Amino acid sequence: MSRPLAIRVEDLSISYRGLQRTSLRASWMRFGQRIAIYEAVKHVSFEVPEGEILGIVGRNGAGKSTLLRAIAGIFSPDGGTIDLFGHTVSLLSIGVGFNRRLSGRENIYLSGLLLGYDEAAIAAKEEAIADFSELGAFLDKPVRTYSSGMYSKLAFAITAMLESDIMLIDEVLSVGDAQFKRKSYARMRELIADEHRTVIVVSHDLRTVEELCGGILWLDEGRVVRQGPAAEVLPAYREFMDREFPKPPKKAPPAKPAAKPAAPANP
Amino acid sequence: MSRFFANLWKYRRYAIRSARAELLGEVAGSYLNWLWWVIEPLCFLFVYWFVFGTLFKAGEPHFASFIFVGLSLWEYFNRTVSGSVTLIASNRDLVTKVYLPKYVLLFSRSLVNLFKLGISLLLTFGLMACQHVPLSPYAPLLAAAVAILYLVSFGIGLILMHFGVLFSDMANLVRIGMRMLFFLSGVFYNIHTRMASLPRVRFWLLRVNPAAFCIDEARKALFFDPVATHFPSWQGLVWWTVLGMALCAAGVWLIHRNENTYAKTI
Repeated sequence: MSRPLAIRVEDLSISYRGLQRTSLRASWMRFGQRIAIYEAVKHVSFEVPEGEILGIVGRNGAGKSTLLRAIAGIFSPDGGTIDLFGHTVSLLSIGVGFNRRLSGRENIYLSGLLLGYDEAAIAAKEEAIADFSELGAFLDKPVRTYSSGMYSKLAFAITAMLESDIMLIDEVLSVGDAQFKRKSYARMRELIADEHRTVIVVSHDLRTVEELCGGILWLDEGRVVRQGPAAEVLPAYREFMDREFPKPPKKAPPAKPAAKPAAPANP
Repeated sequence: MSRFFANLWKYRRYAIRSARAELLGEVAGSYLNWLWWVIEPLCFLFVYWFVFGTLFKAGEPHFASFIFVGLSLWEYFNRTVSGSVTLIASNRDLVTKVYLPKYVLLFSRSLVNLFKLGISLLLTFGLMACQHVPLSPYAPLLAAAVAILYLVSFGIGLILMHFGVLFSDMANLVRIGMRMLFFLSGVFYNIHTRMASLPRVRFWLLRVNPAAFCIDEARKALFFDPVATHFPSWQGLVWWTVLGMALCAAGVWLIHRNENTYAKTI
């Protein structure tokens, strides 16, 4: 019996209107010009059954992160639909959305509320998050006082402890010191191992994708090039990348400089 | 608009918690803590009362209470409108990492400002009691003035929040505009007596400057005024209610149409 679907994306298109942060004077000069529209994702359709780990690969600008953000709900689609069948979703990227003026503890609650948890459920997980983040007394200090490592540790701890049905991982995390990296990788494996959890991983590291993912979605210029089992899609993607971006030939080791000729004797 | 109301309901707990945390965060590191919420408006009151009441010898009866009403409403309007311009950019981390309807940020900020307005109005009532100011029979209309101020500030805030993402010099323009509006809002003078000889100017000022209108209505609601011409302006109340709703609708439309792009632009 086939597993129920966790994600269904149908004919999804996402465009950015060419709005740029600019000065009033510059915008006045451009008055009357048509606004450029950039289509980042074009008519993409795919399905992910519950419990599957899908990898998304593609060149820079292929639309991978935009697609992930659309599934996370940060962008709403311009065309097509995304159905998550009522599952909760969280995007695990470098940094969760924090309010830097507030304390780490308060940010745990606010992030939890945004992930769809109620305050009682967050309170039940609060200590686990505090322990995992290893922040100690800093948890009650404003986030703006954190080092980038502390910030990332708290971000990872929140997303890793406030589990969601669907996890979207944008580039594999490498936060904190070596010990924290090991701990977070182990926790990520633990989360992925849950057979009810659906995971989408975006990464340029093909070895990680190959190791973690059963299925692969290959995107290029916003369109699906190929979708299927990792064993079929990844070799084709590697071949494409080697063709498009051939590796520079290895430089021959510099030849030993010839012995300096002896200076002519002064006449 | 149904999407707007559904989102406000869905994110209400977030907005309230965020507002509470913001308020506590503001005073957390200080010695006097929450007392600042009371001390700050009282200090402003003292400055304005001293400058305009004592040095410039303003002739309004119960001048301290008179000025406190104006100042409380003006501060709410100013904080909400000026703060909205940089609201999305200052919440960059949040906007680019999770989905949150952008007007929830403004809603949360408006709750913070509303709390401060509430404290200022409580202090106003205390001051009025100390000064033995006779209460007007229209006192319940203060709620209408505050509600209209909330509606209009929210609408203007939504629109400025959108343009604040696109134009880097918007904050400067708004700062200058708000300074002009401050002097045209009758915070430290009575629009009716100061502009008695300019009825057309007064009429249009109260029709285009929401702060002037709401401050004027709040004073009419609170202070017993035996002059028959100073009844609440029912026409004005309807005008600003309709305009406030139109501004909110325009702001929500702008945000819904463009919020996809904010994360990319900032």
